[in-house]
Amino acid sequence: MTKNTLIKIVSLIIMVISFIAFISGAGAFPINTENDQVLPWSVWFTISVLVNMVLWYPVMKLVSFSLGVIWFYAFVAALVPNTSTATGDVTSLDWSDPDAVAEIGLTIFNTKGQCSACHTLDTSAPKGRCPDLTDIGLNAASRVPGMGAKEYLIESLYDPGKYLVPGYGKIMPEVWKNPIALTKVEIEAVVAFLQSLGGDIDPEPFTEPIDRAEIGTTAAALPPLLSGDPEAGKKVFISAACISCHEISGLENPNAGEASDDFEVVTAPDLSEIAAFNELRYIEESILLPHAQIVSGYGKVTVTANGITYQGTLVSQDNEQIVVKVKADDGTETEHTILLSELDEEPIEELDNLKGRGYLTLTVTPLDADAPISGEIVEETTESVTLKVGDSTQTVSKDAVKQRFRGIMDADGEEVIGELISGDMDSEEIVIMVDGTEETFDPFFDFTPDSTMFILGSGKKLYVTSPMPDNFPFLLKVVDQADLLAYLSTLTGSTTTEETQSAEASEDTGDTNEEVAE
Amino acid sequence: MRNNSLITKKRVFLILGIMLLGYVLLTVAPAFAQDTTDAEYRPFPLIGSRNAAWIAAQLHLLFGSFILGVPMFAVIIEFIGWKTKEERYDRMAKEFIKLCMGAFSTTALLGGVLVFVLLWCYPKVMSKLSGIFGPTMIFYVILFFGETFTLYLYSYGWDKMQGRFKGWHLFLGVLLNVWGTAIMFVSNTWLTYQTSPGTQLRKLTEKTKESWIESSIAQNPELTRSEIMADVTDHTVIPLHNETTGEFLGTVWEAVNNFTWMPVNIHRLIGNIAFGGSIVAAYAAFRFLVAKSKEDKAHYDWMGYNGNFIALCGLIPLPFAGYWLGREIYMFNNTMGINMMGALFSWLFILQAVMIGVLFIGANYYLWSGMGRIDGGEVYARYRPYMIAIIVICVGIWMTPRTLSKISSASELSAMGGGNHPHIGFFGLMTAKNTAVNIIILTTFLSFLFYRRSGKSPTVSWKGFGNIIISIIFFLGVVSIVVIGIVGFTVDTDIRVNVLTPWQVVIALTVMFAVTVLDIFMYRKATTAGTIRWGQISERSQYVLILLAITFTSLMGLMGYARSGLREGWHIFGVMKDTSPDAFTPSLSSAVNTVSVIMVIFFALVGFIFWLGLWGEKKKDNSVQLEDEVSAESDD
Repeated sequence: MTKNTLIKIVSLIIMVISFIAFISGAGAFPINTENDQVLPWSVWFTISVLVNMVLWYPVMKLVSFSLGVIWFYAFVAALVPNTSTATGDVTSLDWSDPDAVAEIGLTIFNTKGQCSACHTLDTSAPKGRCPDLTDIGLNAASRVPGMGAKEYLIESLYDPGKYLVPGYGKIMPEVWKNPIALTKVEIEAVVAFLQSLGGDIDPEPFTEPIDRAEIGTTAAALPPLLSGDPEAGKKVFISAACISCHEISGLENPNAGEASDDFEVVTAPDLSEIAAFNELRYIEESILLPHAQIVSGYGKVTVTANGITYQGTLVSQDNEQIVVKVKADDGTETEHTILLSELDEEPIEELDNLKGRGYLTLTVTPLDADAPISGEIVEETTESVTLKVGDSTQTVSKDAVKQRFRGIMDADGEEVIGELISGDMDSEEIVIMVDGTEETFDPFFDFTPDSTMFILGSGKKLYVTSPMPDNFPFLLKVVDQADLLAYLSTLTGSTTTEETQSAEASEDTGDTNEEVAE
Repeated sequence: MRNNSLITKKRVFLILGIMLLGYVLLTVAPAFAQDTTDAEYRPFPLIGSRNAAWIAAQLHLLFGSFILGVPMFAVIIEFIGWKTKEERYDRMAKEFIKLCMGAFSTTALLGGVLVFVLLWCYPKVMSKLSGIFGPTMIFYVILFFGETFTLYLYSYGWDKMQGRFKGWHLFLGVLLNVWGTAIMFVSNTWLTYQTSPGTQLRKLTEKTKESWIESSIAQNPELTRSEIMADVTDHTVIPLHNETTGEFLGTVWEAVNNFTWMPVNIHRLIGNIAFGGSIVAAYAAFRFLVAKSKEDKAHYDWMGYNGNFIALCGLIPLPFAGYWLGREIYMFNNTMGINMMGALFSWLFILQAVMIGVLFIGANYYLWSGMGRIDGGEVYARYRPYMIAIIVICVGIWMTPRTLSKISSASELSAMGGGNHPHIGFFGLMTAKNTAVNIIILTTFLSFLFYRRSGKSPTVSWKGFGNIIISIIFFLGVVSIVVIGIVGFTVDTDIRVNVLTPWQVVIALTVMFAVTVLDIFMYRKATTAGTIRWGQISERSQYVLILLAITFTSLMGLMGYARSGLREGWHIFGVMKDTSPDAFTPSLSSAVNTVSVIMVIFFALVGFIFWLGLWGEKKKDNSVQLEDEVSAESDD
């Protein structure tokens, strides 16, 4: 073996060993003391790569060069600041050494807590996304009158939106929640660290202003609203005026006979035994989504037949006809039987969710047809609608129907209606085929404001809604909803007597009346 | 012939066997994971679970990129050969598809290893994911079969489908890429869901919305439903899960169509083009450096140029796709975005800037070297110092850290008056960096323009006027980008991110498009002053091609760490907590060390596949000059 070959082989071996040593973080060689690292592996590696590049043949040169490039990026990565989110296993804190606890808090501050992403610890730094925390341990005591420094810091971590520093937005997440999800011990360490910034560390343990266990079980146990109080729910039933329309055996309506400006008093289902025959989920849905399911005979409906509009309660319905009970101003009620075929066609501006919006039939003109087609809606998807036309079915693409235009002329009040050829209300002109002739209009000047309409079709509509106010679930606080559901869930009929006694007892103490008076 | 046929059959059986194994693994994965959910984690011997999954996933992904990127390259080259009727293009495309066959089976094998590792080490995570994505996994298998058989037809039908069937053969090539891209899109759903398992309000179902309201009020009973919904906008992110139990409440499509899915798809698609081109260029460089004959050097010089050209075409739009991805991460979770660009991963992006700086400087250097072998190319040499200066300054700006507080001593901080350098500190802001990137891209485009023009003289009467117009377009483009960059310092982040930066991108793209169109018309009937002396390029330039390929690959590994590391202590961000001992994001250095090991394994395997290709050629034809020389070199 020649000397040259020996150098080549040794250099190759050094390159491989030093690469592995560098990557695995081995100490320097040959001297490796903390402050005296002579010839670290990066130097060994660089020298060996250069030697290989000079001495070896092309393939080995390439290998050395390639390894050198890979190493170079690892070398640069080792030079820049390195942060890991590993905080160690912080399950307990040794308060005999508060500074060590604050040190742990600093680690969490920079890593898992992600605080340093927005907060600075340097008053000379440019304004960050969140307030600078230099001397926060001192300043925290003066932020909110009457609130101590530690109390303020705890509040800021658990409920950061409560007290905002002027000039900063509500962007800080609650660190105990996902995805940061600091444990109580970790928050204690962070509080200690923040106190150490200009203040004294108070090792006194604190109680979390939240209940982690309760939150876990509440959401895990469905339905979540069942955590309410039935007695409180009964008061909600009265105060929220449910009792104005719904009867519950043994529960007296203090406002009986009084009219309300906010809602119409109608006859609604008796709820005395609602929990005996219904799932809790159904009751919950009836509170949160009153229109989701409507008890037969109680639905509210507005229909137009032969030009006459009927607004009232839908008493019954079959394939041929409906019966609508209409209440006159004088209080008398009249039942009207209306054939479905007599319902007037209403213009349709959008073809989405036709069935959900109560349409029974549809009349449209497909782009490739001259005459409109009309039929009962059999099936509907987001893209198409299938109609029963005579004895057969026909599917129409929602994107491929002719658009019609309707508007009232500003000058003479005459209605213009016809197939839309081009233009819209934002264009300079609009072309409409009226009685076989194309006519051009100026959308801005020719039509009365708000009289214009772009129509894709028409259809007979029967839309049944609940008489309950649309915004009913939005009127109540969530705790009230929970209480109401808890109360309704007790109404199985078998407890009627107890309920009556309970209600009477409440009245004796004046609780209910006070609530109603409120 | 008989031996070749036997080898082909063996290879087919081998690949089919691996496919079958993969299919079985994928189809039994949910059941297997279901049976083992008692164990949340199992340790992987020696290197640990995370490293095992990391290495297997990264290698699978790199080989996956290889077999997606190289066929893209091959089809483009085959098409050029078909149109120009130059047979050398066709030969080159075929050569790479042959290499793909070996890489294909390796990819499938690594995919199988990855599934095994994940099922063994993370059964609960796999159970959760397969429960949500079951239908997509079946779809994945179907696509995999489609890709495999198309690859067979494309590869083995190459010679038989010449002539009048060439169009159909190209169609097969395109189809192969469609299958491959679809496979990538499907598998991207799983990993992007883990990072951003949320959707925007406008895409929500009623059920999901109700559940979200329930979760919100469970945590804060004082709120009414109207109060909860009051702050909801079209961009409000609502998780697809019960926030406490982690129960998935959305549809498969909602899980698929998460925030980062499409940006990652597009980013990887473009990245694969660049990666495929760079690997081809690196292969050509290797063959160039070991070649002895002039013919071989000329051939591989030409091949390297084409590979690098395709890589550049992918590299130029890549930052734009990356910007979109970053923006979507901010949209999904602002803290995650801040963590990425301004906190935990901020120094990663400095390293990324170093790598991309190397890529652009290397790519420009290669073009300038290439101009040296073109007669008449020297007229553009006078511009080089200025272009070098522009690129180096811009790379410097891109590499400027936002704050120096973590690398400065107390006295240095005191002297600077804080963590920001008093003179160059403002270069650390995104508006400066975005401006720099766009100018680097335009400068690289100008290098390519000079390369394209080298040795040619336009014959159109308006050439002088055309050059003035092109100069004006460049000038106005650069000035506009710089002005927008300066304005960016004075406006809110929202306007900068959503208005100004996209405008910079649009201006850069418009300049490139307009100049390309003009240049094509100007040089349509240009006279050629001198020929390209293929094979006479410097050896240094070939090392640059190797450098580019390794840098591309390292960058993929680095960004994989960033994308995955953003989840921090979560398997599925905000939904499924990582409670294993590895439940943290490792430091940048530690991650890059792991990536380095993966790079070594990857390039060793790629080298092995290349060697197999050479070996096969040698066995087929011992008279091939180049292989003799390589062999002789090896015996030295």
